[in-house]
Amino acid sequence: MSITAETAKAHAHDPAVLCCRAEGGITIEPANLEDPAIFDDLVDSGLLNLDGCLTIEEVLGAKLKETCDSLCPLTADKVEGAKAPTTEAEEAPAEAEAPAAPAAAPAAAPVAAAGGTLRIHIGEGKDINLEIPVGALGNGGAAVAEVPAAAVAAGAAAPAAAEAGEEKVVGTLTRKHFKITEVKRGPETKIEGTTLYIREGIEQEVIDNQELVKDFHLEIITPENYHTYSETIMDVQPIATKEGDADLGTGVTRVLDGVVMMLTGTDEGGVQIGEFGSSEGYLDENIMWGRPGCPDKGEIFIKGNIVIQEKTNMERRGPMAAHTAFDVITQEIREVMKELDESLVAETQELKQVRRPGKKKVVIVKEIMGQGAMHDNFILPVEPVGILGARANVDLGNVPVCVSPLEVLDGCIHALTCIGPASKEMSRHYWREPLVIETLHDPEVDLCGVVFVGSPQINAEKFYVSKRVGHTVEMMDVDGAFVTTEGFGNNHIDFASHIEQIGMRGVPTVGMSYCAVQGALVVGNKYMTYMVDNNKSESGIENEVLGCNTLCEEDAIRALAMLKTAMAGEEVKAAERKWNPNVKSTNVELIEGAYGKKVDLVENEQSLPMSQKRKEKYD
Amino acid sequence: MNNERLHYGDRIIYMEGIVVDVDDCSISVDLKGRLGFFKAPKRMFICDTEPKVGQEIGWNMSFPEQLGPEVNEKYVSNIEKERRNQEKMRRQMENKEVSK
Repeated sequence: MSITAETAKAHAHDPAVLCCRAEGGITIEPANLEDPAIFDDLVDSGLLNLDGCLTIEEVLGAKLKETCDSLCPLTADKVEGAKAPTTEAEEAPAEAEAPAAPAAAPAAAPVAAAGGTLRIHIGEGKDINLEIPVGALGNGGAAVAEVPAAAVAAGAAAPAAAEAGEEKVVGTLTRKHFKITEVKRGPETKIEGTTLYIREGIEQEVIDNQELVKDFHLEIITPENYHTYSETIMDVQPIATKEGDADLGTGVTRVLDGVVMMLTGTDEGGVQIGEFGSSEGYLDENIMWGRPGCPDKGEIFIKGNIVIQEKTNMERRGPMAAHTAFDVITQEIREVMKELDESLVAETQELKQVRRPGKKKVVIVKEIMGQGAMHDNFILPVEPVGILGARANVDLGNVPVCVSPLEVLDGCIHALTCIGPASKEMSRHYWREPLVIETLHDPEVDLCGVVFVGSPQINAEKFYVSKRVGHTVEMMDVDGAFVTTEGFGNNHIDFASHIEQIGMRGVPTVGMSYCAVQGALVVGNKYMTYMVDNNKSESGIENEVLGCNTLCEEDAIRALAMLKTAMAGEEVKAAERKWNPNVKSTNVELIEGAYGKKVDLVENEQSLPMSQKRKEKYD
Repeated sequence: MNNERLHYGDRIIYMEGIVVDVDDCSISVDLKGRLGFFKAPKRMFICDTEPKVGQEIGWNMSFPEQLGPEVNEKYVSNIEKERRNQEKMRRQMENKEVSK
């Protein structure tokens, strides 16, 4: 199909290929050229070779020397009077010239590479009518053109139109940090100085707490013991408690630094809870240190291994019992923390929920798993990342639940998710949620709140909840939205639907997910133009390293920059057809240039001691 | 991308199977034609309605190919550990039942 002058301009630097037979001597016009969007498939299937092919801007207006067939790539020997190419850099001077501009642009979400090739060969025939619904060309292909997003020219994001009102602090949360340098067992649970003692024999209470819990072992893992074999890690949790009767997200929270709770478990037959494939192994080879959801290097792990009744590992009640019983220990530590003397406070941190009337109003929609069992989350417990008082989002029907940013950072989610170690968001992730923190601190936007929405198993339910999301966001009158999800799989269906529901109400929406190679999106729609990929792994895969591909600060920075770009009405380039890690680095450079600040990128699995399995299998 | 190591990765076959078990977090499938069995997390299945035993499902796949002759000792050791652990736990369970 020939292209228009506009398409030709948009694809000025793409290869020039004739769309149909053209006589020698004609002057090449856009109408003679094929749409570059279809080239990837043709190249993949070997029907097209673009070696030495000139670009569209070079050939336009030039003379075709000889008669050529359709789909003939225009090389220098076929064309007379080709123009000199301009470089792409020259094309986007906005980047370099507007360093003060806050806008820039983020990474690409690679798209389903499922689109095959449509080949129609008709040797001879008359009156042949082919009618193919556009959708029938396959999700992959169709989505490819539409989905994604990538680098943009960093234009000047116009300063917020409305005059900025005063910043308004609508809530505060104080975190008092207590340092722990040693964890020991003792006759009673207590904290002395920086030593935490856990009562000997507490194991029996954990076992007695839940009928399904049959056995329990507690292990203290210090940094010297990181090279210890461990079962699959189900969750990593901060140890925190509220002072007095304060609700989550308000008042004072006391938290222990230098130590985390870590839950592992099997059923009585030794089968891992929620286990698909091998993610067990040596802790130091399987944890991506410092990810929001993971332990930091140097921290002590209070690691509990729970044994639940045989064959309940795949039932909802199994993992729920494991999490509930393990909380017995955390709760006992919480009780002790409530009594701690103020003199032991190592650091006090004040978290403020700031509203900025007049600035661009944004909302964060976080999709959490809700398909059942290990795809579940407890929402809003009484204590940070506790159990008591919380409701499972599966029981709530996965409908959207609105919370304040401070509730998120105060541990309003107790995550039961236990599949896909690299991309799952553990309880600690929400406690340090980078997108919430970045957006809350950004003086150019007004974060109005966070919406959690579950991802049900069945499509009908997925669309039911995503419509609720659409209406919820509509009521907020926001200028922009983020939609994030963890893991990959059928949750990408509702992820896409949330973006559609918000996007169709005229709200630019940035989607964030692990995509890369294995998590390529299964569906797309025309609102999915702003996508940020959370992938960090070298090969773009689920690399079995805990937390590796979860949302980090660098992703939050890119997403914010992209949303600002979108809200300013600037163009974000479409993503490439296949995952290309360079898009992310280009975007990071653009942001660094525009903001004049360095974006520190986190390390990936390559920084860990190389386990034999990764060496041979993946890299 | 890793799939460059596959020789026949582009030979896509349409497959069908029968749902033989559904639990809270996974779905088990028998491949039609006695071609095997697999079990995967629920979120990897796309379902318009509640997944139920006896339903038929379809998907595209190609042949799983060996990536090389090397044996990864780490995986062997994990499997061994797992097997020994399961054996031990099973024995414990049996003993418990006997002592009851």
